[in-house]
Amino acid sequence: MDIKALKNKWLSVGTQVEETEYSQCGYDYDITLQAQQIHPFAELMLAEGFYLVSVTAVHARPAIEVVYQFAIAGSQRCRVIARIAVKEDGTVPTICDVYDGANWHEREVRDFYGVVFAGHPNLEPLILAEEDVDLKPLLKDEKRLKDISELRRKVAEPEPEKTAPAEKKAPAAEEQKAAKPQASN
Amino acid sequence: MNVDVFEDERQHHFVLNMGPQHPSTHGVLRVLLKMDGEYVLDPQPVLGYVHRCHERIGEFKPAKAFMPNVARMDYLGALIYNQGYAMLLERAAGIEVPRRAEYIRVITSELNRIQSHLLWYGAYLLDLGAFTPIMYTFDDREHILDALEDVCGSRLTYCYSRVGGVCKDIDDKFIERVRAFIERLRGRFPMYEELVNGNVIVQRRMQNVGEYTPELCARFGVTGPLLRSAGVEYDIRKAEPYSVYPEFDFEIPLAQKGDAWAAFNVRFREMEQSLRIIEQALDKLPDGEVMAPKVPRKLKLPQGDYNCSVEAPRGELSYYLVSDGSDIPYRIKVRTPSYSNLSVVPEVCKGMMIADVVTCMGALDLVIPEIDR
Repeated sequence: MDIKALKNKWLSVGTQVEETEYSQCGYDYDITLQAQQIHPFAELMLAEGFYLVSVTAVHARPAIEVVYQFAIAGSQRCRVIARIAVKEDGTVPTICDVYDGANWHEREVRDFYGVVFAGHPNLEPLILAEEDVDLKPLLKDEKRLKDISELRRKVAEPEPEKTAPAEKKAPAAEEQKAAKPQASN
Repeated sequence: MNVDVFEDERQHHFVLNMGPQHPSTHGVLRVLLKMDGEYVLDPQPVLGYVHRCHERIGEFKPAKAFMPNVARMDYLGALIYNQGYAMLLERAAGIEVPRRAEYIRVITSELNRIQSHLLWYGAYLLDLGAFTPIMYTFDDREHILDALEDVCGSRLTYCYSRVGGVCKDIDDKFIERVRAFIERLRGRFPMYEELVNGNVIVQRRMQNVGEYTPELCARFGVTGPLLRSAGVEYDIRKAEPYSVYPEFDFEIPLAQKGDAWAAFNVRFREMEQSLRIIEQALDKLPDGEVMAPKVPRKLKLPQGDYNCSVEAPRGELSYYLVSDGSDIPYRIKVRTPSYSNLSVVPEVCKGMMIADVVTCMGALDLVIPEIDR
C-alpha cells in the first residue's frame, strides 16, 4: 500500500489530514471533513481495501460529532479516524449503501444521539426498545456538555510534551541544521 | 421492529420467530425469519434484550472503575477485554507496564481464548445435534477455569488486569498446572480430530454453508476467525503488535473457502497456536514486579481521543475513549466483534434452509451481551 498516494487521494476528496502518533493515541491518521464529503470518502476507503471498524458519535458544542473508524485488513497497519460535524438540521448522509456494516452502527448512533442518517433504509431503534425512540440516552445535559476544543489533543506548543506528533519535530531539527552552516558562514 | 408486510397470493410465506430463548442463539438474541416453506427469505436479528447501558455508565465514573464492566460484556473473553482496556488507559496516561505483568497478561489471555474456543466447540456441535463433544470440551475447559480461579479469583467475569499491571502475581503452582494442561490438551487434539473433525456427518453439515468472501467481510466489518477462514491473513496480534506478542513465534491459521467448515477448522487450529504462545511465555517468563511503581490513585487522562484495538476470541475489539482532561471519560465506545459479525446474517443467510441458519449463526460464535452491551 502506498501511503503517499493514499494521502493525496484523501486530500483530493477535500479532507483535512493530520498524522498522529500511534503509540500515544492508537491510530495513524486523523481526518476531518465536511458532512457531505463522507460518502465519496467512504467509497474511496472501500476501494482502497479498508473495512469499517465502527461509527460512533461524541456530543459536544457546537454540534454532535460523528466519528468513523477505518482499518485495513492486512499485514501493514493503517488505522484512520474520520470525523464530521452533524449539519444544522441534525442529519448526516448515510454510508450504508457503501459499507453495509454501517447500517447497524448508524442505527445505534440514531438510538443514542438522535442523529438522523439521511438516506438510511431503516432507522428503526436497534438496541433500545421501540418506545424509547426519543430517549437519546448519551446526549449530555447542559452542565456536562463541553466545547469541542476541550476534547482535542493539545498540540504542545509551549512545552515539548509527548503529545506532540513526531512529524512536527523533524522539520524543526532540519531547520536547525540548515541554520547552523549559515551562522558559520 | 420493521417486518415488511409482503404480498403473497398463495400465502406460502410466513414469519417465524426464533428466540429470544432459543437454545441455539446462546443468549437472548431474537431473529425474525421470513420463510417460504423451509427456506429463509429474510432473516432479521432483533437486538437489545440484554442492553445494560455500559457506555453510559462509563461516562459517570472514573476510567479506572470501568474495568469490571468490560468483563461483563464478553463473558467468554473477559481477560482479553481487561487487557485491552488496561492498555487503553496506559496508552492515554503514558504508563509503562513491567515485563512480567505483560507476560502474565498474555498467558492468561491466551488461556481465556482457548476456553472460549472450547466452549464454542462443544456448544456449536450441540446445536448441530452432536451431544457428546460438549462433555469432553467442558472437561478440558474446567482445568483452565480452575487454574485461573486461583490467580484471578473468579471463574468467568474476571477483573484481573489493573492500570499498570495485574493485581496478583502467578505462582509456581499455577505454572505447573498450566504446563500440565498444555500436555493434556495436546494429547486430546487427536481424539477431537478423530471423534469430530473426521466425522463425515459433521463435515457434510458444515461444508458449503454460509460462504464468506474477503470483499463481503470488508463491507460488513467482519473480523476474527471468520475473516481468516475466507483467506485474509489478518490478526491484530500480528498486524498491530501489542503487549509482548512480537516476541513469540506463532502462526495465523487460515482457510480459503469461508464456509462454516472453514471457520470451524480455523478456530480449532487457533487453540494449538495459543498453546504454543503460552508455552513460550512460560519458558521466557521474566522475574520482577507485576505492577508499575507509580500509578496515580486518581488517573487523569490528558485531553484528546484514544483508541486501543486487540484481538478478542471473536475478532477485533476496539476501545475508543474521548477525554476532557479529568479522570472521568467524556465518552467511551466499545466496538465489539460480534456486533459487526452478526450484521452479516441478513445477507449471508438469505435463501438458506432453516437448519443451515443454525449452522451459519453457530459458526459466528455469538456472545449476545457483547452485542447489546
